[in-house]
Amino acid sequence: MAAKKKFPYRAAVVACNGGCRAKDDPKCAYGCICCGKCVESCKFGAIFINELGVAEVDEEKCIACGKCARVCPQKVIHIHECANYIVVKCSNKEKGKAAREVCSVSCIGCGICEKTCTAEAVKVIENCAVIDETACLSCGMCAVKCPRHVIIDQRGILTERY
Amino acid sequence: MYSFYVNGQKISTEKKQSLLRFLRDELHLTSVKDGCSQGACGACTVIINGETCKACVPTTDRLEGKEILTVEGLSKWESSVFTYAYGEAGAVQCGFCIPGMVMCTKALLDKNPDPTVDEIKYALRNNYCRCTGYVKIIAAVKLSAKILREGFIPEKSEDDWKLGSRVHRLDVEEKVCGTGKYPDDFYPDGMCYGSALRSRYPRARVLSIDTSAAKAVPGVIAVLTAEDIPGQNKIGHLKHDQYTLIPAGGLTHYLGDAIALVAAEDMETVEKAKKLIKVEYEVLPAVHNMAEAAAEDAPLVFDEETSNVQAHKYVSRGNAQEAIKHAAHVLSHHFETPWTEHAFLEPECAVSYMDEDGDVMIISTDQSAYCTLHECSLLLGTDKVKCENALVGGGFGGKEDMTVQHHAALITYCTGRPVKVRLTRAESLLIHPKRHHFVMDFTMGCDENGKIMGVKAKVASDTGAFASLGGPVLERACTHAAGPYAYENFEIEGTAYYTNNPPAGAFRGFGVTQTCFAIESLLNMMADKIGITPWEIRMRNAIRPGGILPNGQIVDDSTGLVETLEAVKEDFDAAMAAGKPVGIACAMKNAGVGVGIPDWGRVKLIVEEDHKLHIYSGASCIGQGLGTVLVQMVVSNTDLGRGDIVYERSNTWIAPDSGTTSGSRQTLVTGEACRRACEKLMEAKKEGMSLADMSGMEFYGEYLAKTDPLGANVPNPVSHVAYGYATQMCILDPKTGKIEKMVAAHDVGKAVNPLSCEGQIEGGVVMSMGFALREKYPIDENCKPVEKYGALGLFRSHEIPEIKAIVIDKPGLNVACGAIGIGEITSIPTAPAITDAYYRLDGERRYSLPISGTPYNRKG
Repeated sequence: MAAKKKFPYRAAVVACNGGCRAKDDPKCAYGCICCGKCVESCKFGAIFINELGVAEVDEEKCIACGKCARVCPQKVIHIHECANYIVVKCSNKEKGKAAREVCSVSCIGCGICEKTCTAEAVKVIENCAVIDETACLSCGMCAVKCPRHVIIDQRGILTERY
Repeated sequence: MYSFYVNGQKISTEKKQSLLRFLRDELHLTSVKDGCSQGACGACTVIINGETCKACVPTTDRLEGKEILTVEGLSKWESSVFTYAYGEAGAVQCGFCIPGMVMCTKALLDKNPDPTVDEIKYALRNNYCRCTGYVKIIAAVKLSAKILREGFIPEKSEDDWKLGSRVHRLDVEEKVCGTGKYPDDFYPDGMCYGSALRSRYPRARVLSIDTSAAKAVPGVIAVLTAEDIPGQNKIGHLKHDQYTLIPAGGLTHYLGDAIALVAAEDMETVEKAKKLIKVEYEVLPAVHNMAEAAAEDAPLVFDEETSNVQAHKYVSRGNAQEAIKHAAHVLSHHFETPWTEHAFLEPECAVSYMDEDGDVMIISTDQSAYCTLHECSLLLGTDKVKCENALVGGGFGGKEDMTVQHHAALITYCTGRPVKVRLTRAESLLIHPKRHHFVMDFTMGCDENGKIMGVKAKVASDTGAFASLGGPVLERACTHAAGPYAYENFEIEGTAYYTNNPPAGAFRGFGVTQTCFAIESLLNMMADKIGITPWEIRMRNAIRPGGILPNGQIVDDSTGLVETLEAVKEDFDAAMAAGKPVGIACAMKNAGVGVGIPDWGRVKLIVEEDHKLHIYSGASCIGQGLGTVLVQMVVSNTDLGRGDIVYERSNTWIAPDSGTTSGSRQTLVTGEACRRACEKLMEAKKEGMSLADMSGMEFYGEYLAKTDPLGANVPNPVSHVAYGYATQMCILDPKTGKIEKMVAAHDVGKAVNPLSCEGQIEGGVVMSMGFALREKYPIDENCKPVEKYGALGLFRSHEIPEIKAIVIDKPGLNVACGAIGIGEITSIPTAPAITDAYYRLDGERRYSLPISGTPYNRKG
C-alpha cells in the first residue's frame, strides 16, 4: 500500500545503534528496547527489528506519518529529511563514562563533531549529539571523526551502516 | 595497503590521507578542487559507489574496494553533454565549483533521468556556488537530463559571436571537464610548499624571532623573516602600509600579519616547522572597533601614523543644510551594515618559480597581474619579475591585494625553488580584505510631492589592519550615497578607521552597497510619509538623460533608470494587487575607476604563427567572462570569425597593462581599447589580406577613460565615464514569509552577452540576499574572525527564489560599442528592496543588516 510521497522526502529514523544489543540484555536506559510497538503501529511495514535487535526504518516504504515516533516508549524515533543522510544513531544522555559503560557505540558528548562541523549544525545537547538538518551540509565530517561511530552515513559510503 | 578504484583503475596506497589530497597530490586529478577542506564548499565532490561525496571527508583507509569517479573519469559522451548543457545554460562563471556540480549532476541523473526542479536543487544543495546564484546551474542540469534522455546534442542556440549574442562562454569546456588550471593545479618539478606563521595577537610588539629550531627540521628549505626581504617590506594596493613580514621590533596589526615564512618539501614539514618558530611578544591592547579607534587616547594601530583615521572624505554640492531646513518632510535615521566575506570558492594560491630568463615567475589568482607584478617587484627590489593569471576562482574584490603572491615570490627569490603558497580556508577568511562594516546617519528632506530637496549624511567605516582600498571604497560610498536621483543639495562626510580587525577593502559594490541601503531605505520611508508608492517616489526623482546628478555630472543618453523602473512596473502592480508584500530599491554604479584617476584600457592583437588573432590584455578574468566579451568585441568589429580568434590569459610580458578588474570597468575600458585595436586591424586588412598574410603583425589599442577629480573646479565635472542603473524588487510569499520572487532590471547600455549579463544579475542578487538576510562574519574579542566556511550563512541552491533578470539595452555611450559593466550593481539595490518587503509584511522597520525576524535566520 504505497502512499504517494511528497518531495522533499521525509522518513523516520531510529536514534539508536543497538550497541547494547537490545534483544538480549538492554542495558541502556535511553536506547531502543526492542519492544516492537513501532513495528506493530506501522501500516506500511516500513519499520522492523534488525539483526542487532533494534528498530530500523526502510526509507523506501516510510511515509513519515510519525506514528512510530509517537508510540515509542523510549522516544528514540524522530522524523527527518531523507536527503540528510548523515544521522546521529544514539539518544543516550548520560555523561561520558556512564554512556560508555552501557554501550560500545554510544555518544559520550565529547564534542568532536561540534568542533569539526563547518556549518555549526551539530551541537552536543544533554551529552548527546544533535544535528540541525536545516544547516547540515551532509558532508559527513562528523561521522568520519566520531570516535564512537555514533554518527553514520545512512548510504553506507563514509561509514558502515551501523 | 588500501586498495580502491579511481575512474575504473585499481589503485593502492599505503598512506592514510584524505581522499582529496590523494587524488590531487598523488594522482594529479586536479578537477577535484580544494575549496575548503572542511566539508563545506563541495568543490571536491566526487562520486563513490554511485553517491556524491566530498573528497576532503573520507580518508584512504576507509575506501577499501570502493569505486571513485571524478570528472576525468566521465565518458566522452557525458563530458560533451555536460559541456554543451552548462554552456547553453550559461552556468559557468569562475568555474571553481563546476566539477563538483557536474558530479552532482551525473549522480542525480544516473538515478533519476527526469528530475523536477526541486529534486535538482536538492541534488546541488550541499555544494556552494558564489558566482551564479545557482539559477543557470539548475537549468544546466535540467538540460543535461533532456539531452541524456534524447541521446543527441542539439546545435547551440546562438553562435555568431557578435555583440548581443548569447554565445557559450569560451572557457566552458576547460571548466566543466576540469582541465583548466587554477594556480593550485600547477605542480612544477621540484616544487616545495610555503606558508606563513601568523601573529598570535592582533596587536603586539614583536620582541624577537628565533627560527633556529625550525630551520633544523629535515625537509625545511628556508625560514625567512623580514631581514631576508631584499626590497621594500611594506607594500599595498595603493598605500604601502601592508607588511610582508613583521620585523623584530615591529607592531602587529591583526592576527593575519605574517611573522616568518617557512618553505619545506611538503606541507606536513611546513606545519611542523612553523610550530618551532619562537616569537616573543609584548602584548598590547587592541583596537576592536571604530569607537575605540576614534577615542581620544586610543592606542595607535600603526607606529607610523599619528591617528587611527585612515581616510576622510567630504563631498558637498549646493546647500544640503538649508534645503533640509526648508523641506516639507524630513526624515533621519541611523543605519548599519556588517562585515561581509567574499567567500569566493577558490582560496588564494600562487605558484612561483625561476624562469629561463632568471626572472621570478608568479602564477597567480588575482584581479590584476600587473598589480601582483608591481607589488612583488617592490618587495624584491628588482623588476626581474613576471606574472601570469591562471584561472581565477572568483574574486568579487577580495583578490585585489597581495595575500600569497608576495610570499611565493620571496621564497623563490631567496631559495631558487619553485614553490606553492596556498591559504587554508581559515587563513583566507582571516587574511584577504573584507567588505567594510559601515555605520551611517542620513537625513533627507523632500517637498510635499516627494521631490528630494536635499540629503545630508555622515558615515564611518572600519577598514581594519591596513588601508587596502579603504580610501577609494569610502570615497565611492560617499559619491554614490545620493542615489540615482536628480537633486542639487547633497553633503556627506566619511571617515575610515584603522582597527586591529582583519582588513577591509574592495567588495562588489565598493562601498555603494552600504550607502545604498541607507538612502534607499530612507526613500521608502519617505514614500510612506508622503503617501505615494515607493515606485512612484523613485519615478518622480529619477535621473534622466541630460539631467544633473547631485555630484554635478550631466548624465548621457544611455541613462536608463526610468526604463528599469518601467520594466518592473507590471510585476510591482501585480504583486500589490495580489496583496503581496513587495519592496523596491534603485541603484547606480560607476563603470570605470573615475574621479580623475588615469584609467587605461590596453589591448594588443597579435597574428601568430598559427594564423590566428591572439587577444592579449593585462586584464584579469575573475569569472565574469572578460575573454568572451573581448572575442565578441573582435568578431563585431572585424571580419573575423570565432575560429580565427584565441583569447590569452592576462600576463605581464606580452599583454599590456589594462588595469585592475575592479569598478565594473573591464567590459567598458578594456572593451573600448579592444575596439580601437580592431579598427587598426581592419585598416591594415583593407588591402585584402587574410590572417595568413598578416602573420607577426600587431595591433595595439588603448583608451583613457578620462574623468575629473573629486571637487574639480568645473561646473559639471565628469566623475565617471559611465553609470549603470538598476531597479530591483522583492516579492514575499505572505504565508511562508519567504521570498517568492526577485525581479532585477538592469540598464547595461549594450549587453555584449545577455546570457552572461543574466548570470551576473542572478549571482549578484543571491549574493546580496545573503548580505540582506543571513550572512555573517563574526569577529571575537581577540579580533579573530570565523574560521568555518559553512558557517558564513551563504545561500544554498534549494533556498533561492525565482529570479527574474531583465537586461535593458540603451544606446548613448559612445565608447565600447555602448557596453557598460554590470559586475557590481547587481548586488547593490538588493538589500534595501528585501528590507522594505519585510516591512510591508510585518510592519517592522529594520535599519541594520542582516535583518532579523525572517525565516532565513539561523536557529540558535
